[in-house]
Amino acid sequence: MRTLIRAAFLAAALAAPAAAELPDLGGREVVVVTENAYPPLQFVEPGSGKAIGWEFDAMAEIAKRLNMTVTYQNSSWDAMIPAVSEGQYDMGMDGITIREDRAEMVDFSDPYMRSEMFMLVRADEDRFDDPAGFAALEDGLVGAQPGTTQFYTAVYEVLDGDEANPRIKLFETFGASVQALRTGDVDLVLTDATAGYGYVKANPDAFKLVGEPMAAEDFGFIFPKGSDLVAPINAAIAEMKADGTLDALDVKWFLEYQLGM
Amino acid sequence: MTPETPHSSGTEREFPWWLAAAAAIGALILWNIATDEVYARILATLSRGIGMTAFVTVTAFVLAAALGLLLAVCVLSGSVILRQTARFYIEIIRGVPMLVLLFYIAFVAAPALVAGWNAIAEPLGLAPMQTRDLSLMWRAILALTIGYSAFIAEVFRAGIQSVDAGQIEAAKALGLSGWQRFRLIVFPQAIRTILPPLGNDFIALIKDSALVSVLGVADITQLGKIYAAGSFRFFETYNVVAFLYLVMTVGLSLALRGFEQRMRHRNSR
Repeated sequence: MRTLIRAAFLAAALAAPAAAELPDLGGREVVVVTENAYPPLQFVEPGSGKAIGWEFDAMAEIAKRLNMTVTYQNSSWDAMIPAVSEGQYDMGMDGITIREDRAEMVDFSDPYMRSEMFMLVRADEDRFDDPAGFAALEDGLVGAQPGTTQFYTAVYEVLDGDEANPRIKLFETFGASVQALRTGDVDLVLTDATAGYGYVKANPDAFKLVGEPMAAEDFGFIFPKGSDLVAPINAAIAEMKADGTLDALDVKWFLEYQLGM
Repeated sequence: MTPETPHSSGTEREFPWWLAAAAAIGALILWNIATDEVYARILATLSRGIGMTAFVTVTAFVLAAALGLLLAVCVLSGSVILRQTARFYIEIIRGVPMLVLLFYIAFVAAPALVAGWNAIAEPLGLAPMQTRDLSLMWRAILALTIGYSAFIAEVFRAGIQSVDAGQIEAAKALGLSGWQRFRLIVFPQAIRTILPPLGNDFIALIKDSALVSVLGVADITQLGKIYAAGSFRFFETYNVVAFLYLVMTVGLSLALRGFEQRMRHRNSR
């Protein structure tokens, strides 16, 4: 199981040349939006009801280093990119994959995390255990949310590159696609390591993870186009990569923290 | 929206087995909440969304009823411009799905509204407004208000038209002004036709208020979505979500039915 929790992290080698001085934003107020629906990056802890996670810790550290005051607001994923794009919020953090089409709407920070895709299947699945095996299974169905990395990976790396392939069933939320997997409506859901591990742990009789990790995705914060926050945040991310702060957060949230109940 | 429940003939009353079955299922979920820690935690989390659901529903309903009454009066007015404008609004809004209306108001109409306000306010020396001053919650309430005002306008129109035209002529003959005719003659009678479908619209609005979760407004549905994402427990979470809505909708539906029966009884005396 340990190998499955492994999320591939950005090497410290990517770190920018050690910036000696970070800019001082003089206590500037920054409104950050998140949905709290992506454990362990940001989620509501089942017992306490508090919003916690990797990104909250990282943001608190960035705020400390840049001397800025962060207030959090909530939005749904559907609303997030349009809302940040129109300046409703100064910044968005939601485990957002850096993609070119999104960069037309918003500015991205440098990547702060790399995540890989795993295959989540029913616990009794014995017809396939890798992407090729699934592709060969003609009546096999895969569930995904439209426009997500999981969707594109399913289309281009697992199936035949046809986005209208009838073997892909679309769902409104990631959770709904997992529920469809459980009930047998689909046979495969692609997931990042964290969510996949969380589901397997909460429902060990229902799910298992199979196969090798697939396509990696880089996460970045989003800002309204032309935001003057991008440069200072990037500098802080670079410093936190270089001094091991991000690695420490990875250990805390991906290895030590016990997700689910 | 919801068609009015057909009235039973009223003589023989059937035992409401459906209600007994619903109550049994409700009791089962309550028992789960009392004995199962998972269910208890879910309820504790979701109950923080009840206030938001109630606030969004009640605020949108009150505003929609006010706007709907105004629209109904316009539709029935003597002015062609008012009639046609109100008819245009009602037909267009009723033809758009609520979810589409919600996204449209939030990301097209609201920014345009702010830009329009600024175009007027800035030359007057007023502080310009930012889009962010209009929170997603208020945009959601605005969308529900606009959507439901069109339905409610039709409810009011039908109610007002149900009043016998002869009475209005009689009131005119007695020299009552337009406002007096409305307040003293039309409204007290129309309200009896209006209330049952208006109540149904309120119940429909409770259900449609769940749509505001697509904007991230922290209502029962959104908190359920978040809780399920964080705990990986969809089955239990949505059991409780459905339970909370059913308590409100079935409860109100029963209350409404009782109220209608009392009103009919009073009328038939």
